[in-house]
Amino acid sequence: MRDTLLAALSASASADAVSWLRGQISELSENFEKHPFYYAFSGVSRRFDKAATIQSENETIVGWDEFRTARVALLLVLAEKDKDTFLESFSAVLNTADIREQIALFSALRWMRHQEDLVESAVDGLRSNIVDIYDSIALDNPFPQEHFTDEAWNQMVLKAIFISRPLHRIHGIEARRNQALAEAISDLAHERWAAGRLITPEAWRSCIGFIDERIAGDIAKMAESENPDDRAAAALVVAEEESGKLESRKTTLADELSKIEIGDLSWKSLGQEMEDKIIRKSLT
Amino acid sequence: MRFFDSHVHMVSRTTDDYQRMAAAGVAAIIEPSFWQGQPRTEVGTFKDYFNSLIGFERFRASQFGIKHYCTIGLNPKEANNEKLAEAVMELMPLYICKEGVVGIGEIGYDDQSKMEEKYLIRQAEMALEADLPIQIHTPHRDKKKGTNRTMDVLVDVGVSPDKVIIDHNNEETVKEVLDRGFWAAFTIYPHTKLGNERMVDLMLEYGAEKIVVDSAADWGISDPLAVPKTAALMKERGVTIEEIEKVTYHNPLAAYGQSGQVEESDWEDHEGIDATALFEGNTLFRGGQDIDEAMSQYLIE
Ligand SMILES: [Zn+2]
Repeated sequence: MRDTLLAALSASASADAVSWLRGQISELSENFEKHPFYYAFSGVSRRFDKAATIQSENETIVGWDEFRTARVALLLVLAEKDKDTFLESFSAVLNTADIREQIALFSALRWMRHQEDLVESAVDGLRSNIVDIYDSIALDNPFPQEHFTDEAWNQMVLKAIFISRPLHRIHGIEARRNQALAEAISDLAHERWAAGRLITPEAWRSCIGFIDERIAGDIAKMAESENPDDRAAAALVVAEEESGKLESRKTTLADELSKIEIGDLSWKSLGQEMEDKIIRKSLT
Repeated sequence: MRFFDSHVHMVSRTTDDYQRMAAAGVAAIIEPSFWQGQPRTEVGTFKDYFNSLIGFERFRASQFGIKHYCTIGLNPKEANNEKLAEAVMELMPLYICKEGVVGIGEIGYDDQSKMEEKYLIRQAEMALEADLPIQIHTPHRDKKKGTNRTMDVLVDVGVSPDKVIIDHNNEETVKEVLDRGFWAAFTIYPHTKLGNERMVDLMLEYGAEKIVVDSAADWGISDPLAVPKTAALMKERGVTIEEIEKVTYHNPLAAYGQSGQVEESDWEDHEGIDATALFEGNTLFRGGQDIDEAMSQYLIE
């Protein structure tokens, strides 16, 4: 991974900056000391360009800025150290991190060792009010799926719905569905509707497999909505739900269901469309 | 006109202050780490303080279109608590190379004790190591001797005077500071110490070279509009616009720009006020403030 990051940086950043980073990496690999690591990790900001966007064959890092990319490369060095050194420095840096540094730390979680010791930090990071920090943990990151308890997972997904984040980019959004989450989503939807507000249609994906009477009613409401995104979501739920509790909705949603059949509509396509809308204008 | 106030403790100021500063043309500010009035007894409170300087306070300033930088350091008052001081020395390397940290500061002497000297030296060495400017707090008591002693210590450590901004100067200290090649900053205080009429007299005598004017507004009686007000008075008293711009904008930018962490394009390219960025749902905006009224009394006595 380190080579991928360095190659991507070489294509974007100045030669001086990249050679500085290579120097830091080789020095820290051979002889790791805390202070030089701190200086290097934060000092990335003195040499790289935070506005530059990374291109790479590795999809995970496409769109990252140079700060994040260079800092993750340095964290990969830290991850090779013994457990105590690693955990001490990782938490020292995290506890004193600015916004971009936190984003790098959370983005690096998937490649770190001793992941079980980092779960609490990730859960805590999700409490941030800063959307970019929240995103670095929740979106495009396999870490929560692999390590979170149901309770932490459900909090993360509910917050994503609450602040209108693109759910299709949460790893495990399908695999980690559960009863409590489905009920909480229905509760949130009812609260929003009572206030005359909307809920992102992607939310209903997490209810598949847990359709009770009330949620069946919610899906029926979506199926009859004037908003095409709501109907699309209802159709996707109906198409996937195997309990037979939503069979009666199939006639209302015939158009949407045929789109699904020919591959014109999927959770991903709906999610991407919602993401474009979120960028333009918040759902709320 | 736009201004760069290189010394102001915004954690102690209100959003009204931010609004008035922005309206008066303050484009960028530096918030030095300093004493908070109530002495700290745990290193954790330093950590949270530093975190707020690089985090929430920076965000708060951005809500008013003001670019916020900071200096990181252990102030001389708290340097007298050795156990705490040692812990802060361990903490500082985590902060000093961060984005937007433009120096080590404010450090220096208060009582001119042995402990204060020890941590002045330690932090000067840290500044050398990280290649950062130093922001110096000079003592209010026995100022002349304390200022000279500070410069001696810094030169002994090997710091270049060009990288040091000596603050809280007055008529008694300025000559030696400038003669030795340091930057001389002046804090404009209401009621006591240095009013802005005296500042204008100083400028008429010493010119604008290596002179910086700041407000050092904090939790005490102080004025966050001191820089624009002093500029207005300078203009009235016949100081040239070029010289006014030097001491209220270009000089602090040049001095702290040596950190590589602040440049004019940081705010010149700025597309106005960024009210929705980063801290979602946490906008700090309220109704307007009458800046004309705030600026109408620009004489600070
Ligand atoms: Zn101060």
